[in-house]
Amino acid sequence: MRLAAALALLALACGNNPYPGADDALRVLYTPYSEPPKTLDPQVAYATVDHDVLSNVYETLLEYHYLHRPYELIPALVTAVPEPRRLDGGGVAYAFELRPGIAYGADPCFALGTPGATSRELVASDVAFGLQRIADPAVGSPVLVTFAKIRGLAAFGERLAQRRAEQPGFAALRIDEQYRRAGPVEGLRVSDPHRLEIVLDAPYPQILYWFAMPFTSPVPWEAVAWYDGAAGRPLFPEVAVGTGPFRLARYDKRSRIVLDRNPDWWGVRHPEWKAPAATYPSDGEPDDAARGVLDPHLAGHPLPFLDRIEMRLEKETIPAFAKFMQGYYDRSAIPKESFDRTVSEGRLSPEMEARGMRLERAVRPGVYYLGFNMIDPVVGAPAGERGRKLRQAMSLAVDVPEFLRVFLNRRGIPAQSPIPPGIFGHDPEYRNPYRSLDLERARALLAEAGYQGGFDPATGRPLRISFDTPDTTVQSRLRFQFLIDGWKRLGLDVELAATSYNQFRDKVRNGAYQLFFWGWVADYPDPENFLFLLWSEMAQTKSGGPNTANFSDPRFDALFHELKDRENDARRAALIREALALLESERPWIELFHPEDYALVHGWLDGLKPMGLPVPVWKYYAVEPEARAEARAAWNRPVRWPAYALAGLAAAGLAPALATWRRERRA
Amino acid sequence: MTAWLARRLLWGAATVLGVLGFLFVLFFATADPEDIAKRALGEKAPPEAVAQWIANHGYDRPRVWNPADPTDTMLFEHYRRMLAFDFGRSDADDVPIAQRLRAGVGVSLSLTVPLFLLGIPLALGASLLVAFFRETYIDRAGVVLAVVAMSVSILIYILAGQYVVGVLLRWFPISGFDIDPAVVARFLALPVGVGLLHGLGSDVRFYRTVFVEETSRDYVRTAFAKGAGDGRVMARHVLPNAMLPILTHEVVRIPGLFTGALLLESFFGIPGLGSMTVDAINANDFATLRVMVYVGALLFIAAQIATDVAYTVADPRVRLG
Repeated sequence: MRLAAALALLALACGNNPYPGADDALRVLYTPYSEPPKTLDPQVAYATVDHDVLSNVYETLLEYHYLHRPYELIPALVTAVPEPRRLDGGGVAYAFELRPGIAYGADPCFALGTPGATSRELVASDVAFGLQRIADPAVGSPVLVTFAKIRGLAAFGERLAQRRAEQPGFAALRIDEQYRRAGPVEGLRVSDPHRLEIVLDAPYPQILYWFAMPFTSPVPWEAVAWYDGAAGRPLFPEVAVGTGPFRLARYDKRSRIVLDRNPDWWGVRHPEWKAPAATYPSDGEPDDAARGVLDPHLAGHPLPFLDRIEMRLEKETIPAFAKFMQGYYDRSAIPKESFDRTVSEGRLSPEMEARGMRLERAVRPGVYYLGFNMIDPVVGAPAGERGRKLRQAMSLAVDVPEFLRVFLNRRGIPAQSPIPPGIFGHDPEYRNPYRSLDLERARALLAEAGYQGGFDPATGRPLRISFDTPDTTVQSRLRFQFLIDGWKRLGLDVELAATSYNQFRDKVRNGAYQLFFWGWVADYPDPENFLFLLWSEMAQTKSGGPNTANFSDPRFDALFHELKDRENDARRAALIREALALLESERPWIELFHPEDYALVHGWLDGLKPMGLPVPVWKYYAVEPEARAEARAAWNRPVRWPAYALAGLAAAGLAPALATWRRERRA
Repeated sequence: MTAWLARRLLWGAATVLGVLGFLFVLFFATADPEDIAKRALGEKAPPEAVAQWIANHGYDRPRVWNPADPTDTMLFEHYRRMLAFDFGRSDADDVPIAQRLRAGVGVSLSLTVPLFLLGIPLALGASLLVAFFRETYIDRAGVVLAVVAMSVSILIYILAGQYVVGVLLRWFPISGFDIDPAVVARFLALPVGVGLLHGLGSDVRFYRTVFVEETSRDYVRTAFAKGAGDGRVMARHVLPNAMLPILTHEVVRIPGLFTGALLLESFFGIPGLGSMTVDAINANDFATLRVMVYVGALLFIAAQIATDVAYTVADPRVRLG
């Protein structure tokens, strides 16, 4: 009993700090993550949290300018952003010049190449190796379709698979040996250790954006060969061996991930290079100075500012936010339950302002929409003009501003087209005639479609449409009910069919759905990455692609075909306008909104500008540990009296009974 | 005894085989290999990558029957792997499941063992006290409190505990975990406290009934008549005689110690086997889920046999055969 009391006192004495106190003086970023990364293999990883971790360790040839918008590519591992070079016969080549003298972070795997070595220089063949891995079927990269544009890359993957299947023992060879024996890739030319030329069969200017994504990160073959899961070594997707500003110090991904500053990073070793990807920018957008992201202690300084990044798994939003409020996380999303307390009318509440916090708002390059299944006989293309008018009418009955107000605390801007702000082809002045609430016009259109007052003449009852969703939560049910009520005012009977994820996938596979709610966030900032969602070759039911609306229109396809691989010129802008005009009246989608992120940031964290793309940003962040330690101490003094009060209460409760018992015993 | 044990083991084996088959049928009745792949790769994965993933993970085999080679089916492979304890890799992220189990079991035990070991004396002590003072205000207040305590969902305890102790009083971290011995106690204090409080209600109700029944028996009166003190009667006479229901109640909990506390682990961010199971369900991770179910079934059957054996120790009148 005495021991238990002593233990309890000891525990009470240490308070609610979830970190050992020794971290207080270090420049550490504390940040929560809501689900563990699936993989750190740069050629495979596609989830935001995967990229959050690995993009600090692996680097890419190109990156985005941290402050400029629209997004602008800058050289990272290379000396310059390459220009396309047209080849005879329709091909295009890009020559990347690597900076010499870039070394990998220390890792035991390099002993495979040179006995005793713990690091080596980054060379062009590492870039080629990374790209070859995309084609390797055993790696399972999700982006081969894009990189198959590199001449001979897909064929390389097929040769590799064939040899593995036919030659016994081939698959057991070391990975670099397998790739060597499978033969070279014509479109990957390494002419010297620092120069790689890639050759595409046809023009595809967006390829450069892909070189700012982790998929194209150079990978040392030693890491893939060494981390094979044998002899207690982890698998390659569970480690990170790169050249970046941080290194993976701890990877208990189901509770804690720690990234330490890499003292050997080329940006640290060569500040004299003033490389754009290793220096905080000195110029930005007009309002950046007012946001404080161009303050003198940031602008022009060498990166990174942090010593360490501590990531903790927080599956539930409420405890994560509570710890943020205690100062144990430096930034936080705002859970719905706490929204009214923190933000009012798009501004920070006085309580939060008094704590020195800032509110960061950023429109993500994404779009949420309702899609019609265009191969459905009622709402889709087979219904011809009737279907089109029905879709137009339904589009006119969706009140997005009210939807945003009720469900998202106004976090989002109503969408007029699939293309979000910040992306070429987005016109802030454009107003889609079918994307505002107009019930009168909607009723008229419905009548023209033959559904007078929403009645289906075939059944004599309100027209029944099913709204299919894999989301069975109460929150989304309420959201969908809001939309359904809008259509009910036209007399339509839209029925929510919320099923399990697996059943929903079944319906999609069979084309047995009518209306669905979906979202898309850009991989790279190009209109092609949005409009391809409506390209007939990507039709979901036919080919399993992301065109879940199964929209198929030769006019749109022709426009898309011409615009997809063009530079951003006047012709491309005109093509996009034409494509959007077509979507405007065809209405395969009811565009809802472009999502807006609100994040709370403590006053001691600087250098934040939301990016909205899966790119490394933490190297730009700066933290003031003294201010943080002070705030934590002030905000977290334990309240001890209830413990004493409780103990007293229990004693008082037991005392009369004990007194009676002792009296009786004596008697 | 030997014959009895052999019979029980045989029944246990049949049960485990049944559980494995049932799991296979249930899982694949609602999920397709393509669904597992899409979850692992993300919604944006192109169909080629999905097909490749399915092939890499062996889900391209026929499910139950393959006329060309009856051993080349998913069901056969499922049984072969489980019976050989070859757990393979997680469908969600390809981490070896055995490694996951090893990492998670220690974490789960660090939560569940204190919960179990502190819970028994606490529940027994409280029930002995209440039973001893029966028909007084302590008994009545104890029963009311116990009924109230057992009627409230554990989620309420968790959320209220986090808010009151973590946010208002600031005694312990709201949630989180770190196996580092310097800080592990402060992370476990709150979940263990919440778990104890939640378990106490029903345990006290149950044990009080047991003890009250025992204290009204003749041997208790005899013991008092011999002049034994109150403490001695309760601890030496009543407690051992009430051992049978206590054993039944507590031993079946032991397998649960290894498989973890689902809700406590999930809400307090403790990366044990309980939260691993929840994650596997959410991620359509068949490979991990079947291992958890298999291990859970094996432990449960072992615990059942152990309970029966423990009866013979606690009560010499019980014979197995």
